[in-house]
Amino acid sequence: MGNVIKKLMIGLVVGGALVGATRAFEFPVIFQMMFFAYAMLGAVVFMILDAPALTPMSGLKSVIVLVVFYVVLCTVYISGASMWPQYDPEDEKGKIAKILGPKYAATQQGKAEELIARAKALDEQTKALAARLKALGGDQAGKDQAAGGAGASPASSGAATGDFMKLGEEQWQLQECYNCHKLKGEGGKKRGPELDNIASYLSVDDIKQKILDPKSFMAEGFEKEYEKGKMPDKYKDLMEEKDVVALASWLGTFKNTSVNTPKPIKKK
Amino acid sequence: MQQQGGWFQRLLQAGRGHGGMFSALLWAVGLLSLPALAFGADVAPAAATEYRDIPYIGSRNLVWVVAQLHLLLAGFVLGVPIFAWLCEVVAWKTGEKRYDKLAKEFTKLLTSAYATTALFGGILLFLLISFYPKLMNYLTDIFFPSFIVYCLLFLVETATLYLYWYGWDAMQDGHKKTFHIFLGFMLNFFAFFIMIVPNSWATFQASPVVLAEGSDIARAWAATWNPTWWPVNIHRLIANVVLGGYICGAYAGIRYLSARNAEERDHYDWMGYVGNFIGVFGLLPLPFAGYWLMREIYQYNQQMGITLMGGFLSWLFILQAMLIGVLFLGSNYYFWLGITYRIPGSELKYRKSMLSMLIILLLCLGVWMTPHSLVASLEEARKMGGTHHPLLGVFGVMSAKMTVSNLMILVTFMSFIMYWRAGKEETAGWAKAAKALMSALLVLAGIAVVVLGVWGYFVPAIIRINYFSTSQVMIVLFVMLTITPLTALLLKSAKTTTEMVWGKMPPRAGYALVLNAIMVILLMTLMGYARSSSRVHWHVYGVLRDSSQYAFSPALGYAAGIMALNTFLFCMIVAFIFWVATMSDKAKASHS
Repeated sequence: MGNVIKKLMIGLVVGGALVGATRAFEFPVIFQMMFFAYAMLGAVVFMILDAPALTPMSGLKSVIVLVVFYVVLCTVYISGASMWPQYDPEDEKGKIAKILGPKYAATQQGKAEELIARAKALDEQTKALAARLKALGGDQAGKDQAAGGAGASPASSGAATGDFMKLGEEQWQLQECYNCHKLKGEGGKKRGPELDNIASYLSVDDIKQKILDPKSFMAEGFEKEYEKGKMPDKYKDLMEEKDVVALASWLGTFKNTSVNTPKPIKKK
Repeated sequence: MQQQGGWFQRLLQAGRGHGGMFSALLWAVGLLSLPALAFGADVAPAAATEYRDIPYIGSRNLVWVVAQLHLLLAGFVLGVPIFAWLCEVVAWKTGEKRYDKLAKEFTKLLTSAYATTALFGGILLFLLISFYPKLMNYLTDIFFPSFIVYCLLFLVETATLYLYWYGWDAMQDGHKKTFHIFLGFMLNFFAFFIMIVPNSWATFQASPVVLAEGSDIARAWAATWNPTWWPVNIHRLIANVVLGGYICGAYAGIRYLSARNAEERDHYDWMGYVGNFIGVFGLLPLPFAGYWLMREIYQYNQQMGITLMGGFLSWLFILQAMLIGVLFLGSNYYFWLGITYRIPGSELKYRKSMLSMLIILLLCLGVWMTPHSLVASLEEARKMGGTHHPLLGVFGVMSAKMTVSNLMILVTFMSFIMYWRAGKEETAGWAKAAKALMSALLVLAGIAVVVLGVWGYFVPAIIRINYFSTSQVMIVLFVMLTITPLTALLLKSAKTTTEMVWGKMPPRAGYALVLNAIMVILLMTLMGYARSSSRVHWHVYGVLRDSSQYAFSPALGYAAGIMALNTFLFCMIVAFIFWVATMSDKAKASHS
């Protein structure tokens, strides 16, 4: 017993020293805890190396002990896995819906469902309008229409441009361009060039060409990456025409000359 | 996009929500309108069903559990013959009958284990055809020729297994024994092909090679020889040896815990030692095979590599590090227990070395488990100036992880050598020089691995991956391939100072063996999840999309729950197989 207490004390002292050191280096709290856990794990391994033998068991008792042992292991495992930062499956569901949505809408069934949905929405709007007309009278309804009510013209061209740019930014996220390109200070820059000043070099059509055919332009200093075909040649199959145009148009707005975006060289 | 299960689930849910009356009405309407289907069928052809589902469990979960159980059982029935054959060869060469007995004891499991594996394979096939008809149609179209090869392989494998098992007692002497050894070799030879044929189907899904034109055989061959096929084949072959060894160890551990007499304790203690030895023997080169696989994945499709190592699955590898770390600790702990209890007098001699090795293992584990992007609160991130800590962030990259995994392999190898040499005194004249050479090799290798690891931070990634990491692997392999035969030569003429005593291990040795087996099974289930999730929402990456409602990847915590369930079910099935296979022995023992 004295031996066990001695090892436990050593473990606690080493663990405490590690926590002190990790605090001094401003490690995140979870790492301070993990370093303490490593010290205790070491102490436990050494304690049970020469701890007194357990009483041998047999029959049902031994089976129960084994199952309990398994349950403890799995509880630690599942808790550990659940405590790590979890990615949210809803994010991927959203991405899948965005990718598959237009393809599904293009099918006969998709078209039929869309028509039904639109008919339902129109029906709802008609009912709501009728209710308001009934409640307010004809004059009020006319004012509503002038002020952009249910019967107003569609969104202004400014809003449409905004939506189009938003679609471009969405495509940036959806196609995970940030994995290889840095933009607005976020994302990787080892595999592909930073793009904050891309509009100073390429037109929207050029950017579109580069997305659809990665071999059409080569960034200066990225010769090896170009030769190896690091940029995937898959976007012509994965993306709709309007998505490519939206992404290219959005990237075509980046003209930050303070960022050293490498010069693209036309290859095709 | 067809979700045949969706309307059925909605119907069931509607029925639950509004009482039985509504459901009964719906069913009645459905039954009465059945004749209308005959007329309706002529109007427009129904679209092909792409997916089906089942309520409550969900088709994906069910396929996940059955596929994982089939794969684990397959690993078991492919790993056990390797294990049994190696033991039989040792018995044949050394004349030690107990190895032959051990080999026979495990071969006995194979007939029932094969039947169970085939049963789960059949269930899996029916489920896949039912739930994923679109995918199965596509795969059948590509792989039809290899389906036939697979069936033929099963026929020859089964015939060889029957000959090997039922001919055991009849082929014990002279040329007959040689023929029996040859049969064991053929059993493993066919088993290897039984493993690699379905591997081609699974790896094709991750790294497809699709020929638009050509004969059926040419298309199937191109699809089979895809970029990740051989890395997975080698990785699984080694992993099966590890699984076979550790399952043998766990079985021995359980039997040791419930042993009723000294003879049983001796036998199962020794069996645990052999199982752990073979498990560690396979475990040491396993990270190299894993590294090769990841390298091929990166070269095939960088995006997939990023998804695994730097994307949403990156935390999975921290969990993997935890499992491998515990496995290394468990295996070393078992060696140290062996030195302490089986070789009296050695514990004091090696105590300091054990403590040093434990500290190195824990430090390595700490580095391996450090993620690239840290878990930090906003306040912590501000203090650090980002999500990468200036010191800890250094440990999160591949260079550090490769270094510590190589160091852990070296330490485990040292434990094994220490155990091997314990209780013996070298008598050869060159013993001193050989020991000095071995120590120098180990120290130099350790330094070289660390230097290359640190240097790796200052060179481009391509140089680090192609030259530095590969050199680290080669150095460790060189050390193992040099020191093992040198030690064997040294011990050939050595004097035994302390005889190894079997049956004296404390019960916790049995638990350590069970722990190791559970870690290996959990690791296999975790890697199954990684392989499947790395394809994201594709059945066949970049070729055939998954458009079912289960196209998304489940979160890690949820997946860990299913992995734990699969591990438990697999252990129960294996326990059942052991129980059935040893039933007649127990009856014979009680009669005599």
